[in-house]
Parts: sequence; structure tokens; C-alpha cells
Amino acid sequence: MKAVKYLVAMGLIGFLLIFAFAKSVPYWFAPKMENPPQVDIHNPALIAKGEYYARVADCVACHTAPGGKPFAGGLGMQTPLGAIYSTNITPDPTTGIGNYSYADFERAVRRGVRPDHTALYPAMPFVSYMIAKDEEIEAMYAYFMSAVEPVQQANQASTIPWPASMRWPVSLWHLMYAQPREFQPNPNRTAQENHGAYLVEGLAHCGACHTPRGIGFQEKALYDDTSGNFLAGSVLEGWFAKSLRNEGVGLETWSNADIVEFLRTGRTDITAAFGSMAEVVEHSTQYFTAPDLEAMAAYLSSLAPKPGREATWQPQSDTTTAQLRNGNFDSPGAIIYAQECAACHRMDGMGAPRVFPALAGNSIVFAEDPSSMIQVTMAGGRMPHTEHDTMAFAMPGFYHLSNQDLADVLNFIRNGWGNHGSEITPRDIARMRKIVDNAPQHFVPPAQEADYE
Amino acid sequence: MNKGFISVVLLIAGSASAAWAMYSNSFYDAPPTPALEVVNADGEVVGEYRAPLARDILSEENAEDIIYGMRLLNETSRLLPDNVGNGLNCNSCHMAQGKRPLGAPYINTVGDYPKFMPRSQAVLDLTQRINGCFRRSMNGEPLPDDSAEMHAMQAYMAWLAKDLEPGQRVNIENMDYFKVGQYTPDPVRGERIYSQQCAACHGQNGEGMKDQFGDYIFPALWGDESFNIGAGMARLSRAAPFVKHNMPLGVSLHAPLGQIELSEQDAVDVSAYFTVKPRPDFPDKIFDWPGVPNPPDSRY
Ligand code: HEC
Ligand code: HEC
Ligand code: HEC
Ligand code: HEC
Ligand code: HEC
Repeated sequence: MKAVKYLVAMGLIGFLLIFAFAKSVPYWFAPKMENPPQVDIHNPALIAKGEYYARVADCVACHTAPGGKPFAGGLGMQTPLGAIYSTNITPDPTTGIGNYSYADFERAVRRGVRPDHTALYPAMPFVSYMIAKDEEIEAMYAYFMSAVEPVQQANQASTIPWPASMRWPVSLWHLMYAQPREFQPNPNRTAQENHGAYLVEGLAHCGACHTPRGIGFQEKALYDDTSGNFLAGSVLEGWFAKSLRNEGVGLETWSNADIVEFLRTGRTDITAAFGSMAEVVEHSTQYFTAPDLEAMAAYLSSLAPKPGREATWQPQSDTTTAQLRNGNFDSPGAIIYAQECAACHRMDGMGAPRVFPALAGNSIVFAEDPSSMIQVTMAGGRMPHTEHDTMAFAMPGFYHLSNQDLADVLNFIRNGWGNHGSEITPRDIARMRKIVDNAPQHFVPPAQEADYE
Repeated sequence: MNKGFISVVLLIAGSASAAWAMYSNSFYDAPPTPALEVVNADGEVVGEYRAPLARDILSEENAEDIIYGMRLLNETSRLLPDNVGNGLNCNSCHMAQGKRPLGAPYINTVGDYPKFMPRSQAVLDLTQRINGCFRRSMNGEPLPDDSAEMHAMQAYMAWLAKDLEPGQRVNIENMDYFKVGQYTPDPVRGERIYSQQCAACHGQNGEGMKDQFGDYIFPALWGDESFNIGAGMARLSRAAPFVKHNMPLGVSLHAPLGQIELSEQDAVDVSAYFTVKPRPDFPDKIFDWPGVPNPPDSRY
């Protein structure tokens, strides 16, 4: 009996210590800046720059609910334990960030701590924004304070149940995974590549989706370290954000011009953005300046293959075009393709330039992780609307096809026209059907916080 | 309580739930597709219709015939160059393998012929009807009545209706023939719609887009490679109902082809723009509507 009491008491004391410690973390680990600069929030040139940086950082994508007012928050993000909602960051003094000082803003964006000293969930990508330059944060502050329309809209409480909804443990996550960091230019890279690295690692936060996550749901690498994990590909909400490294399953077959074209317009002659990437292009990368896009492309193509992935993916010879044109529909996959897909993607698997993506030689189709291919076929996808093309096209969803039909047709395209990849089973399709059925209506990066235990 | 017991319980619970997850996944499949009504000659509902699935062809006795028919309908221009005088395929107009209601489907075709055709003021059988499309829509030459090709195309159409008994029809319309006459066509507005919603595929000059083999990905909407003035599609009352439900495609998440429904005014305006563009003549036009006045939207 005594022993039990002792244990309980020790447990309580230990808990209180951890609690007090975690509570204290924001004060000393990410304190408010001491001598904040005076930011002239009415300076039009500064505001214009701020608007651009906010585009690069894609603040609007997360802080705007579908159909809602820009930056008024309310976009739900699914976590295993419930939904959390992005907040109102319009300059409304009561419900938004109108009362934020520059120091408050800087601390929230770069360190993920609110003015009341509570830690933000890492769904807000402050870990990437951390390396942004002071002048960029200042410009964004001017933009948000002066040029964004204030909207009175109270923040939505998260639906995560107590006790998981307690915020203080998030501070421990910050302590472990959000150490202060500055951008380190790599002397072996050109100035242009380093500028690209700065954008990709920082404001553009490409790694938030494209870098695999570790056990604590932290990004396994925040820059191109020796592990080769940075931008090596990751799955989120059933979409595979593929490797952006210069490797066979990544961007090896892409020229720098292709990368620029894709980020600017959401499509190239052979592929098109869908899922969350379509939103990134629509809200963010289509507005990048040409030098910024070119720098990012230069940087991405300088990323060496992840160790172990040096072997390049080589297409086999194409027998499929001839097979289909000769009417040799010997398998269910071939005939389903002919009836359901060929009108758009065509017998030669080449689609139509800038209208329907090619399936031949398209790394989405033969990626080691077939999630994106399965989901886009089952649920459909839309290209982003950009100012560069009059029409944005969409792929219809084939949810109504059976698991077996979908597996057959996807295995057919995965191994057609010289493509080759692992087999997809009807069970893989069933699994994706569940993800699609439970998907939040609109995409946001997964909130990693729920698993901090 | 001992640890061994707990771990055994946990192990069993764990593997049971894993097994259950796998088991339930294997039953987690597409819901049944909504059925269409089958009606008898008196219009009474007597059953359900679902278009047969692509994979079902392979287990048909005459699979080879059906597949040949399907290919001819999909790739008419390439496979029958002697009979096709433009760049079109039958399924350029008969949408989604002839399975789509309001997209000129072949679902009821086999049972509906022979049928009276106002244009020729005569009862035509299916072979004559198909050859009508060859001579007008395809701006080409008729197929011999007893050719393997004619036979195969009809075998495909019959396959779509394989579960219908004689006298039964699927309760659908081939096209939504709304009262086009009650709209005043505005071809100028039509041109604007065309460049915003059609030109990306059919070309700014209606020239379409070809693939690496020279076959059309997007068919021409006017000019030498398009249907001739004798085709149904050259008439506003036929084109607008088609366009309303079938074009543009590839712009929504709806299977089979990502189509949307245009407003009737939009469909009329854009059709009034492209139907009257230059296109091949149809010399046999003089035999159309014998003894009756030509309809107002005919081009002759
Ligand atoms: C990937 C999604 C995402 C992006 C991109 C994003 N945010 Fe956030 N942000 C969030 C979420 C989610 C929260 C709420 C987190 C929480 O409740 O802990 C948040 C919280 C905030 C807060 C704290 C508001 C408060 O007082 O509670 C500020 C300020 C903020 N974001 C500013 C920005 C700015 C500025 C940008 C662009 C530079 C930006 N965010 C980009 C998701 C995002
Ligand atoms: C919100 C999550 C998210 C962010 C942020 C993001 N991506 Fe993506 N990206 C995806 C997903 C999901 C895909 C797979 C879908 C696709 O291919 O369109 C993808 C695909 C891509 C592709 C491959 C397209 C193809 O067709 O093979 C490229 C290139 C790319 N992203 C570049 C970037 C760059 C550069 C950034 C940073 C500016 C970035 N992405 C930021 C989610 C994201
Ligand atoms: C109506 C035309 C249409 C049909 C029919 C169609 N697709 Fe697509 N497909 C598209 C479009 C448009 C995209 C680009 C979607 C996007 O970017 O959001 C696409 C994208 C894809 C992609 C991703 C490739 C990429 O780079 O974006 C795959 C894989 C795919 N389709 C497979 C299929 C399969 C399998 C079928 C038949 C079951 C099919 N499609 C039928 C139009 C179509
Ligand atoms: C330019 C468009 C176009 C092309 C190409 C075309 N058709 Fe048609 N077809 C039509 C229209 C419009 C109708 C009338 C639809 C209706 O109201 O039933 C029609 C009707 C038919 C019908 C009668 C359907 C019924 O149930 O009454 C058959 C059969 C047919 N077409 C076969 C073909 C064949 C075979 C080809 C290729 C050799 C072909 N069509 C090419 C437009 C076209
Ligand atoms: C995404 C590309 C795309 C767009 C946009 C598009 N079409 Fe089409 N259209 C097609 C394809 C593909 C076919 C042939 C159908 C098939 O192969 O399944 C077709 C067929 C047609 C046909 C029948 C065949 C013929 O050549 O006469 C007409 C008429 C037509 N389209 C009109 C239009 C009009 C009018 C618009 C704009 C309102 C439009 N289309 C927009 C792709 C498109």
C-alpha cells in the first residue's frame, strides 16, 4: 500500500515538474524579441514586398476556409484525434491579429509561439519560416497590418478532446524539433542555387509536404544534409508528394525549364498538378518571379540522389501503343483502359499537351508509392487555375469502378508504354477508398501534433 | 495479473483487429452503380439496366466481333480510311462508348430500328441508319450491308442491349431535344464562349488537334476534316442539345468524361457559332425531306 502511494506521489511530482518545465519553454526557448525594429506599416513599397513574400509563403492557403474571406482562418485540418482550425490573421483587433506588435508577429511566424506564450501546432510551418530574413518578416507585417482587409470572425475551437487538446506538451515538441536555425548557404553551390535553397527550405516550405516525416512527425531533414532525406518524398492524406531530388523517382527526367513551367502554370506537356499541389500552384508558385523560379529549379536539380537511389529508372521498350492500336485487348486492364481512359490519355499514353497529362513515362504512374495515382483515378483531380491558360482541366473520378477494375487498369498503365512498377492489389484500392471517404473536404497538410505523446 | 496474460490478450486483440481491418477492406468496394429503368412497350417499368462493363466483353461468345466493333466505332477514321472522308470517329459524337444517356448512346439502337426517319420520309433499318452517319457525319462512303465491319459495329451495339428482351427499352433519351427555337442565338456571344471554353481543345480555328500519328485527339469542328452540311450536327436543333450535355469535357470530376451542363442559351449561342462555319458539301442533299419542307435550321 505504502509503495503504491509512494509511486503515485512520485508520478505526480514528476508530472508537475514536466508540466512546469513545458510551460516555461516558450519564455526562454522562444522569447519575444528584445529590441524590435520600428516597422513603417504604411510604406507602400514595403507592403508590396510583403504581399509577395506572403504569396511565396502561401499564408492564404491555410488561413482561408473554402468560400471564406481571405486570411480569416477556419480551414479545418484533420488529425487522428480531431480537427484543428487555422486562425484569423486579418488585422481585426478583436478576433484577428490587429493587436499584434511586430515582435508578436515575428515570434508567431518564426518561432510558432502566440502572444499568450502558448505554442502553436506545427501545422503552422514556422519550422520552415524560421530561416526567413528580418526584412521579409517586416514586410509581411506591414502587408498584414495595412493591406489585408480586417474580418471579424472568431476562431474555431479544435475538436480534439481533452486531455489531448492540452497545448503545453506542444512546447516539448518545439524544444525537440524546432531548434533555432539560420539559413546556411552551401559554398559548393552557385549563388543562384543557394537562393533557390533559401526559398525552398524557408518561405516556400516545400519540405512540409515533400520531406518524409519521422517518429515525432517532424520533417526528417530541414535542408540538404548527408542523409538525403530532404525532399525525398512523403505521403499525406493519401497523396504522394514525390521526391524532388535529382533521381529517377524524382525530377531526374525534368529539365529546369520543365520545373519552372510546372510551378508557374501547374502543367507541362506531359504532367499536371493535382491534389494539394494544384493548390500550391494556384495560390503561391504561379506568382513567383522568374528569377525566384529559376533559382528553385536550379537548386532542385542540384540535389544528389538519396543514397541507394542512384540507379536510374530506365523505361522499357513500349509495346503497349502497338498492342492497343492493333486491338489486342487480351486482358481486363487493357479493355478497361480502352473504354474508360483512352478518350483522354490516348492509345499511345501521351494524352494531349497541356490538356491531358501523359501516362507514358510519367513518374506519378510508376512511383514506388502509388498513392497519388490511385487517388487521382478514384477521386479525380483538378489542375490549378492560373492566369497562363484559359482553361483548367479536370480528371473525372472513377470511384464507381470496382476495386478489381481499378487495380486491373492501374496495373495496366503502371506497366504500359515502357513504365514498370510494383503490383497494385484490390486491397490497396479498398484502403484508398476509405481514405477518400474520410477525407476532409479540402486539403491541408496533416497536423503532426496529435502524436506528441 | 501477470504480464504474460496481458501480452497474450493484447496480441490476440491486435491480430484480430488487423485481420478485421484486412477482412473489412476486402468488402469495402464501390457501391452499386445507380440503375436506369427498363420499360416495356406499354411504358411500364419492368426491370433495371446498367451498361455492361468493359471487362464483360472478354467473356462473351462473340468477344472478337464486339471488340472489332468497338474499335471501329472508336477509331473509324484510322481503320476505315476508304469510308471516312474526314477526321472523325463515330464515338466523337456518340459519347463514352455509346453508353451515356443524352450523349447519343447506342443503348436502345438495336431495338429501335427499323424506324421512320423524317429526313428521308422512309423507314430505315439499322444498316441504313449507320450508313447515313457514314455519308453525312463522316463525310464518306457507305459500308457494304453485309461487310464484317457493319456486322461488328452492330454486334457492339447489340452487346449494350444484351439483357433487354424484345420490345423492351431503357427509359432514356438519346439527346435532350429542348426547344431550341425559343432562344435567339447570339453567335457573337457564341464566339466568346468558343474561345474561352472550346478553343483550348478544338483550336482557335476549329481545326482540332492531332496526335503523333496524325489521328485526331480533338476533332475539327469545321473545315474539310469536319462533318458535312448534311449531318445532324450541322443543324442547330441537334448541335445545341448535344453541346449542352456533352461539351466541354474534362472540366469536372464527374465520370465518365468530366462533362458539365451548359445553360441552354450558352449551348445555343456557341452552336450557332460553329455549325454555320464552312464545311464539306453534301451533294445528295437534294434527296432530303422529299415532298416536305426542309426544317428551318437545315443548311439547304
Ligand atoms: C500549412 C498551413 C499554414 C501556413 C502555410 C501558414 N499557417 Fe499560420 N497557422 C496555421 C495553423 C493551423 C495555425 C493555428 C495553429 C494552432 O492553433 O496552434 C496558424 C497560426 C498562425 C498564427 C497565430 C495566430 C494566433 O494568434 O493564434 C499566425 C500569426 C499565423 N499563423 C501567421 C501566418 C503567416 C503570416 C503565414 C504566412 C507567412 C502563415 N501563417 C502560413 C497554418 C498555416
Ligand atoms: C501542401 C503540400 C505541398 C507543398 C507545400 C508542396 N507540394 Fe509539391 N506536391 C504535393 C503533392 C501532393 C504532389 C503530388 C501531386 C502532383 O504530382 O501534382 C506534389 C508534386 C510536386 C511535383 C511533381 C509533379 C509531377 O507531376 O510529377 C513537383 C515538381 C513539386 N510538387 C514541386 C514542389 C515545390 C517546388 C514546392 C515548394 C514550392 C512544393 N512542391 C510544395 C504537395 C505539396
Ligand atoms: C475526361 C478526360 C479523362 C479521362 C477519361 C481520364 N483522365 Fe486521367 N487525367 C485527366 C486530366 C485532365 C488529368 C490531370 C488532372 C489534374 O492535374 O488535376 C488526369 C490525370 C491523370 C493521372 C495523373 C497524371 C498526372 O501527371 O497528373 C493519372 C494517373 C490518370 N489521369 C489516370 C487515368 C486513368 C487510369 C483513367 C481511366 C480509368 C483516366 N485517367 C481517365 C483526364 C482524364
Ligand atoms: C458529327 C457527329 C456524329 C458522328 C461522327 C456520327 N454520328 Fe451517329 N448520330 C449523330 C447524331 C446527332 C445522331 C442522332 C442522335 C439521336 O437523336 O438519336 C446520330 C444517330 C446515330 C444512330 C441512331 C441512334 C438511335 O438509336 O437512333 C446510329 C446507329 C449512329 N448514329 C451510328 C453512327 C456510326 C456507326 C457512326 C460512325 C460511322 C456515327 N454514327 C457517327 C451524330 C454523329
Ligand atoms: C478538353 C477538351 C475539349 C473541350 C474543352 C471541348 N471539347 Fe468538344 N470534343 C472533345 C473531344 C475529345 C471530342 C471527341 C469525343 C471523344 O473522343 O470521346 C469532342 C467532340 C465534340 C463534338 C462532336 C464531334 C465533332 O467534331 O463534331 C462537338 C460538336 C464538340 N466537341 C463541340 C465542343 C464545343 C462547342 C465546346 C465548347 C463549349 C467543346 N467541344 C469543348 C474535347 C473537347
